Amino acid sequence: MATHTQHPARRKFLKKAAAGTVAATTASVFPNIVLSANKTLTVGMNIPMTGDYAPWGLPGLYGCEIIANNINKEGGVTIGGETYDIKVASYDHGYDTEKALQGFKKLVLEDDASMIMMLGGSTVAAVLPWATRKKVLTTTLLPSDITPDSNYLVATCESHPLYNVTGVEWLARNFPDVKSAAIVTNNDAEYGLQSAATYQAAFEVAGIDVIDTHLHGFDVTDFAPIVSSVLAKNPDVFCMATSFYVTPIMEQLYHQGYKGKIISCTLDYYDEIIAKTSKEFVNGTIFQFPDFDDPKLQEAGVNFPDPAGFDAAFRKDHPNDWSAVAWEYPAILLNWLDAAKAAGSADSESVAATLKANKQEFVFGGGDWWGSQLWGLDNALVGRWPIVVIEDGKARIQEYGDVAGWLSNNKDVLVKHMKDLGLRTV
Amino acid sequence: MELFLQSIVNGTIQSGFFALAAVGLVLIFGVMGVVNFAHGELVMVGAYTVWFLHAQHNTPFLITIVIAISLVTVIGMLMEKFLFRPMRDDPLGGLICSIGVLFILQVAATLVGGDGPSKQVPPPFEGTMVLFDFLRIPYQRLFSIAVSIAALGLLWHFLTHTKLGWALRAVSQDREAASLQGINSNRISMIAIAVGAAMAGLAGALMAPLTNINPHMGHNVIITAFIVTIVGGVGSLSGAVIASVLYALYHTFVTTYFNGTVATISGLLIMVLVLIIRPTGIMGHRVSE
Repeated sequence: MATHTQHPARRKFLKKAAAGTVAATTASVFPNIVLSANKTLTVGMNIPMTGDYAPWGLPGLYGCEIIANNINKEGGVTIGGETYDIKVASYDHGYDTEKALQGFKKLVLEDDASMIMMLGGSTVAAVLPWATRKKVLTTTLLPSDITPDSNYLVATCESHPLYNVTGVEWLARNFPDVKSAAIVTNNDAEYGLQSAATYQAAFEVAGIDVIDTHLHGFDVTDFAPIVSSVLAKNPDVFCMATSFYVTPIMEQLYHQGYKGKIISCTLDYYDEIIAKTSKEFVNGTIFQFPDFDDPKLQEAGVNFPDPAGFDAAFRKDHPNDWSAVAWEYPAILLNWLDAAKAAGSADSESVAATLKANKQEFVFGGGDWWGSQLWGLDNALVGRWPIVVIEDGKARIQEYGDVAGWLSNNKDVLVKHMKDLGLRTV
Repeated sequence: MELFLQSIVNGTIQSGFFALAAVGLVLIFGVMGVVNFAHGELVMVGAYTVWFLHAQHNTPFLITIVIAISLVTVIGMLMEKFLFRPMRDDPLGGLICSIGVLFILQVAATLVGGDGPSKQVPPPFEGTMVLFDFLRIPYQRLFSIAVSIAALGLLWHFLTHTKLGWALRAVSQDREAASLQGINSNRISMIAIAVGAAMAGLAGALMAPLTNINPHMGHNVIITAFIVTIVGGVGSLSGAVIASVLYALYHTFVTTYFNGTVATISGLLIMVLVLIIRPTGIMGHRVSE
């Protein structure tokens, strides 16, 4: 009798043990899979993940995957009464315009992506006619991609290079002895010249004389001659307007004994720069992109959930990949989700209308739609932007600058310098 | 005056890299008649080896240089054995094969190093030598130019004072005549590509701590190497070295006093002019049919 009564219990035990083993094995082999009955909402990333532009694409994908996993683990996102898990579909266009268009169509037509995030520049120009015709909400990090007709193209996070004005303003206020600056940048219209014009305008407004703007191509393998040439003019400030070659330029500044102030748009992988120069040399460098474990990002007014936790998760999974875009695409994704929730739909037209109609909270606080005075449409969200300085070998936010305020006061100076460098303005 | 002297220093150091990259290309073309489009990628493999072993796995820098040279030499020898030798009578075939190798090596580098940012190698020789209170030469660059000069000197000695070197030059001048003298042209081709690839590997290893390392860095190297090779005289090693020094100084001075883009464009123009006015280059000589 005893054996009869034990059989069901044993079967039950075996069933539970087997189920537990399968669950444990699945969880350990596929830690990111969350079993869910939710529908799936796909967002697309049509970005460079290989080639020279990969540092401005791939880290963003890693960041978005962290955000999507966090949302999914917490039960998904509810839009219009329906709860969705977020799926990030990506396409590597390698900064090739034909591939960019191919990838864009693939993400929209095959992956059913509701919104597409892109880096910007020629790859956005390549997809813009199709995206506009099909009314696909697309985001860019370069608001100079905006045209008077690009109703579905928005720049909701980085407004490259408008935020650079805040670093110059801070520099002039804190170092009033600084009188002259030299700008070095690559000579492309998408990144380098836009940034050079913005820095020229910012220096002019700050009363700092730009004594040299040195433009170089993408074929430079040795920056010694360029740095020698610029340092011969004895600038008080050495300004790197874009980030492709910050490391070799910083290395040359170090070896050629530069003692003045350094300001740069970005200082990606600054640990490597310190390893190639010295902590003492890099200390004091001013730039615009914070680490997300910065204490100032934990303060009120920053619209990014648990920045320090995000920073830790990113660096745990991808210890050598943090760059300026690591948090930017996630910030765009979060902003879009907020708009979709408010619209009650992920449909591009509804979200675009909601984005433009409502007061938007920019990632660092503030948030005004801007752009018509420069590009013909107010589709760039401009808010507070941090001024970051290397202190004891670590990036630390000094304060937040008012980009919108600077633009409203000095728009004409900016337009003048944009035109002088042959850039498109309305 | 200070800028002028600093530019001479900058140009001289740059010429070492140009020469190392160019002589390998010249050697391979001279002996085998193959335009090795993958030569820049051989330089890249040398740089990646230093990044992987030295920067990632703390292998001593000097040992990684030896390993980089060895690895690139083996790759070169495999290219000769399995690609260039079967294509010997088909110059276009050899060229297309080298383009294939170019892509394979780029993808291999991506597999090893991953996607993302350019790789950086911390300089093993830190600090800067300062002369006359204004002339600044980083010790890493000083080391590189010293090794480059030593390597080119050794190559020169090899080519002019050893039987193998004479044989190599003989094959580059006339393969058939050399064969009639009992010189094994297959063996000489193998030695030529081994030496040429070793020079490329050394150039990459020396450049590694001084430049952005990425799978596409060979592109700029091969353009420079072609300019130097054509200006120096296709097939002429001494011409390649002289042209390397001249071109590096020219490029450095134009970049310093005008603009880097002007330097590159005018450099290419000079190459075209040399092709039109003096197709044999500085040191090349016309071969009668």
